[in-house]
Parts: sequence; C-alpha cells; structure tokens
Amino acid sequence: MTELTHHVDAPAEISGAAARLRQRVREREISPHDVMTVFEAWAGSLAAREMEDIPGLLFLRMWLKRGNLEPIIARELGGNALHGRWTEQGRARCKAFPVGVVGHWPAANVEIQPLLSMTCALLGGNAALVRVPEGLIDITRRLIGKLAQSDPAQRLTSRIFLAAFQHGRQDLHEAMAQAVDGAMIWGGQESVLRVRALPFPHWARIAVFGPRTSAAAMDAGAWNNPDARETWCARIARDVWQFDQQACSSPQVLFLENNTGRDTAPFRSALQQAFASENKAHPRTAIAASLTSAICQARAAWLIQAPARRAVFPMAPDWTLLFGAGSEAPPPTQGKTLTVLEVESLMETVSKFDGGLQTLGLGMADPAKESQLAALAANRGVDRIVKLGRMHTFVPPWDGVDLVRPMVRMVRHVGSTDPTPP
Amino acid sequence: MPPYGLPPGQKQAALLALLKDELEYACQRHAGYGNYVRHWPVDYRAAEQVASLPFLPVSVLKADPPLSLVPPAEIKRTLTSSATTSQSPSRVALDGPTSRRMTKGVVLIMRDFIGPHRRPYLVVDVAGDRGDGGAMGARAAAIQGLRPFASEVKYCLGLDDRGGLALDRNTLKAFAQDRQETEVLVYGFTYILWNHLVKPLLAEGLCLNLPQARILHSGGWKRLRDQAVEKSAFNEGLARVFGCAPGHVIDFYGMVESVGVVFPDCAEGNKHSPAFGEVIVRNPLTLAPAAPGEHGIVQVCSVLPTSFPGHLLLTEDMARVMAYDGCPCGRRGLSFRFAERIPQAEVRGCGNLQTKRSP
Repeated sequence: MTELTHHVDAPAEISGAAARLRQRVREREISPHDVMTVFEAWAGSLAAREMEDIPGLLFLRMWLKRGNLEPIIARELGGNALHGRWTEQGRARCKAFPVGVVGHWPAANVEIQPLLSMTCALLGGNAALVRVPEGLIDITRRLIGKLAQSDPAQRLTSRIFLAAFQHGRQDLHEAMAQAVDGAMIWGGQESVLRVRALPFPHWARIAVFGPRTSAAAMDAGAWNNPDARETWCARIARDVWQFDQQACSSPQVLFLENNTGRDTAPFRSALQQAFASENKAHPRTAIAASLTSAICQARAAWLIQAPARRAVFPMAPDWTLLFGAGSEAPPPTQGKTLTVLEVESLMETVSKFDGGLQTLGLGMADPAKESQLAALAANRGVDRIVKLGRMHTFVPPWDGVDLVRPMVRMVRHVGSTDPTPP
Repeated sequence: MPPYGLPPGQKQAALLALLKDELEYACQRHAGYGNYVRHWPVDYRAAEQVASLPFLPVSVLKADPPLSLVPPAEIKRTLTSSATTSQSPSRVALDGPTSRRMTKGVVLIMRDFIGPHRRPYLVVDVAGDRGDGGAMGARAAAIQGLRPFASEVKYCLGLDDRGGLALDRNTLKAFAQDRQETEVLVYGFTYILWNHLVKPLLAEGLCLNLPQARILHSGGWKRLRDQAVEKSAFNEGLARVFGCAPGHVIDFYGMVESVGVVFPDCAEGNKHSPAFGEVIVRNPLTLAPAAPGEHGIVQVCSVLPTSFPGHLLLTEDMARVMAYDGCPCGRRGLSFRFAERIPQAEVRGCGNLQTKRSP
C-alpha cells in the first residue's frame, strides 16, 4: 500500500511533490466518471467496523456515492463533462480541464475535511496537495489508507500528496502556495487571511470557505404546533450536535417568531428533552478545557446580565440552552450552546443579517412567508436556506460557491477550419 | 487551629454551611447573580457538598463596573488583575470588612510557611503609591499582602530613562549589608525576579550573601515561557544570587479575584487550601471533581469575600490532583499542582485551530 501521508520538513519536498503531481495531471486525463468509480469503491471500504469511530464518516461515505456526485457534476460542469467529453456550442466546443495542482488548507476542527476538500479537486481532474493539520494526521491516514486499498491501479492516489507539517512552518506554507495552481482554503478569519497572503502564482484560482456562522428560525405555526414540536426539536438538536456546533453551518441562535405573546414553555421543554436525548445518544468523549471554560462563561454571563433571562443546562458542559428575547444574538460560544430568542418579526430580524451568516435553517408552517424570508435572507448575504435538520447537508453550492467548478478551466475551442457545407 | 489542620470531612461540612449562607446573601444583593444561582442544576440549599454549589467563571468579574454586592459608596478599593493573559482585567470591589478579612487570610496562610515574626522585607519591584483607596493592581496587592511580616521595607527596582524596570544596585547592596545572620523576606513577581534581579546578578557573578533569606514569588510562569526557564533552574538561580538554599524559594499562586486565599508550595512541591477556603479541580468533560492524578480546571472557594461574589470561582487555570489527603508535609486535605493556563477560547468556524489540537 502506498503511503500517501508525508511528514514534511523541507520546502524542496513540497515543490518536488508538486512537480510530480503536475506531471501526472498533464500525462493522463481522468474523467469525473472514472474518479467516481474509485470513490464508490472507497466509500464501500469505509464501511469497515474499525472506521466507525471517525466523526463525520457517514457523511463522507454518502458524499462519495455516485448518486450524490453525478448531479453535482452535471449541474456545475454540464452533462458531457461526466465522461470528459466536449460539449458543442454552435461553431465552438467547450470542455472542463483541470487547473493542475490544487493546494488544500483544510480546517483542523472537522475530521473529514482534508479529504472532503481533496475530493472536490480530484473530481475536476486535478491533483491534490493537502496540508494535513497535526491533530488530524492519524484519522486522515486511516481514511486515505482505505482509498489506497480501493485504488490498486493508483488512478487517484498517484494524484495525491498529503503533507503533514507544523502549523507554524511558514516556509512550508509558502512552498506549498508557490507550487499550486489553485487553492481551497477553509478556516477562521485569522487562518484564511494568513493563507491568502501566501505567495501564490498570479494565475492561481483561490476558493475560500469561511469563517461564517449560521442561524435557525421558526414561525409560530411551526414551534407552537404540538403535533410537530418534538420533530422540529429533534431536528434542531441534530443540527447542533453535528461537528459539536463548530462548523460554519452549525446554528448558534434560534429565532422564534412570537408576536402574539404565546407561551413558549412547551417548546422550551420539548427542546430541552431533545437536547437531553441527543446527548444521551451521542455523548461527548473529550472536550478542550478552553471550550468548557467558554461554556461556563456563556451560561453565567447570560443569566447575570439580565435577571429576566432563562437558561437550562446540566452541570456538565454537555449542552446549554439560553432563552431570551430580541434580535441581538450574543457572540457564538459553540460546544452545543444554543441561544433561543423570541422576536416580534422574523422578517425584521433577517433584515439585520449581514454577510457573516452562511446558512439559515428554517422551520416554517407558512410557505408564503418562508418564500419571502428566503428571498430576504439571500439578499442579506445568506448563501444556504434549508430545512431544520439539514443544515450540514453538504450539497453545493456551499458558501454560495460551487465545489468543483472553481478548480477547473472551461476551455473553449472555436475551429479554425471552415465548417463543411451541408 | 492551624489553617491546614482540619480533617477533610470536617472542613467540608463547615465550608458548605458558610458558603450556603454567603450564596443566600449574595443572591439578595444582586438580582443577576441570583438569577444565575436559581438556574443552577442543583438547588444550593439542598447541596450536600461544596462541589455542587454554583460556581462562577472568573471571567464574569471582568465586568465594568465591577460585579459588586455593596453600594458604590461602600467600596474602599477596586483590585484589578494584571490582564497579561486576557484582553481586559478583572475588577474586584472590596469594602472594608472584605479587605480586612483578606489581609488576615494571607497572614494566616503565610505564617504557616514562613513563621509569624516581622523581618526586613525586600521588594523586587518599584516603589509606588499604594495608599488607601482607588485602584490597585495584582503586583501591588501581593506586595501589600506581605507587609504584615515586614519590620522595614526596601524596593530595589527603579525606572530607567525609557520607563523600563532597572535594578537599583545601591539599595540592594545596602539592604544585604551585614545581614548574613538575619532572616529577611524577599518578594517579587516571578518574571520580574528572574529578568531584573537573577539574570543581571548571575551575569555579574554577584552573591548577596543572605543565607537566611526567604524568597516568595508569584504571578505565574507565562512570561518566562519564551526563555524556557524551569522551576528548578529558577530556584537554583535565586539561591545562588542570595546565597541561600533553593528550598528557601517559595512559589505561591494567588489571584486578585480570590485575594486572601493564596497557595504557597509546600516542601513536597504541592499546594493546599486553608481552613477558610477550598480548591476543586474539575474534569473539563464532566465538571465533576477530578480523580487523583488527573488534570482539571481549578475552582477556588473562599468564605472571605462579601463585597463581591468571589466565593466560588472557576479559574482559567489547570491543575493536577496529587491526593485528597495525606501530603507528607502534614497539611490536611487536597494537595494539587498547577499545570498551565487554559488557552483562550475562540470561536471556531470551519477554521484551522491548530493551537487547540496540538498536544
């Protein structure tokens, strides 16, 4: 089995690897269809019992399925792109070509993200040079090991170089940036700015994902419906639990429209039950002390600042519900800390959104109002408006950006010979 | 009763009753704090152990104006933390009674480590206005807290032309002269002692020849991290400069938010809590008390404050539980050692947070 994860210590190792990857891309084209064939085998091998403990594994397996990826390719690159064919456009023809070597700077707090990001570049026929964060080396090695087993002909693995190096090695980050033709950057503000400032070639395509947060909203017809209450609350809990509420698509605040003074106690109680149940089903096994500290701080600050506010939480930092009113949400705490705010009008609340909000999860009983709300949210910078419970469904466009298209070149060929007369 | 002599069970019962009374009092005095206590998962009135009582994250004391349980007119002094590791300092409102209790607390604790008598006191810092009233920083509070052990006080640092700290060699030499047989007390912040006294004197090969010196320091090791100064090297450096045994150097942990309860190292290198306070090391995953050998977040308990809600404070420090009783030094109850400061929590998007994931 080929070892694909390399502990890198010198810039030359990166530039050498990038040169080999680029050569591979130039020598041999690979169609999305062929990439998916390997992905399907990989997804199958990931079903192994020893992989079950990897957070997000189920998600990765679903993402790799042909049934998931084919519509994405068709939508982003056109139907003919699936088999690497040209598409006729009058006297011209078009075809997607890879940009070359795509560098990936994934987030360190989402276990599957280095490889998820990598798959986007591979689907475009590129090679992938992935910086693996130190804390994810072991998990990434296990996942990529299964790909290597599923790809004995090395159709994909020959296009992959996973570089593990310390976060602070600026020289290696620079070497990586200089060696790539495109970059997919995932991260918080500080990380994104630092990576974007690296010396990329002037032709390099850059796709940035993050940093953003997300919110949820419900109209009274939804949260006050006793028949649907439990289901909605379970959906909210599911969205909060995935990725420990640390993904950009994780809801940090839930707005409840309440302009008639309805009692929210039954909903609060149902939400508490849903959080307790979700915690029982999916308890944390580890937590950073800094997050525990932040959760304790959020609980205390919320209740001390205004005596009319409510909250419910267990002694442990497992989960926290902060209840209040008004459209001003506190800074996100994450770690399953959801602020629930009653507002007079969802339209008014959404009109205050800015570009920092990525996903709006909705639970609405009134479809006409939902349509209006979605249009307003989109106008205010929200890129994804989805049903509660589906806030992390990884369907492009993501952050308003396609996932494969940014790393391909749509090449147009207009023939120089006269067309044959009919 | 010596401050460390109570059997753990007896101390727990006494503290629990006192702390419940203080919680009741604090809830009556501050509506917001009362709201927080009401929402605590365990009703404090029914709590059977101190660990079940509602603790307050220390960062809540960064509020400005300070979180106070007394009217502004009764506040005699506001202590501020050094804020070297956070963006804004804590502010602690002290009224007269709390201030007096805190002074007594420090004296009772320190007496157990260095004895009760007064002796010449060398402060490795600059002299400043530390009079009554107004704001007082962490360094000034620590210096002031040891004054009850002083027969005379000398400051051996001054300010240079650029406003930086500079060693006043004349004052230092005058203080050390003819005191080979005299017990003296020396105090400084850890990084100040090292950078402005030990390093220059070691470089000059100078020894003050004060074999009876007792050297206390506090303030943490963060500012020495870049220099990779180990505790043993620090103690040996001080011992060489003063001409005393390394065992005469005592590191103590104290925080402005819980001034009055300080934690000097015992001869075994452990820390203990006195009869009027307690430490709970909490497992970050469960917030339950950690088992011996485990690391956790430090909670400091104290019955001393009544002018601010500082009786049950979850700090931003980590410690390791050594044992729940039986330290060979003879002090009863929990023994623990500080480990590190908790890294600043920051909001994570799909962000590269390597500093958090790295071992």
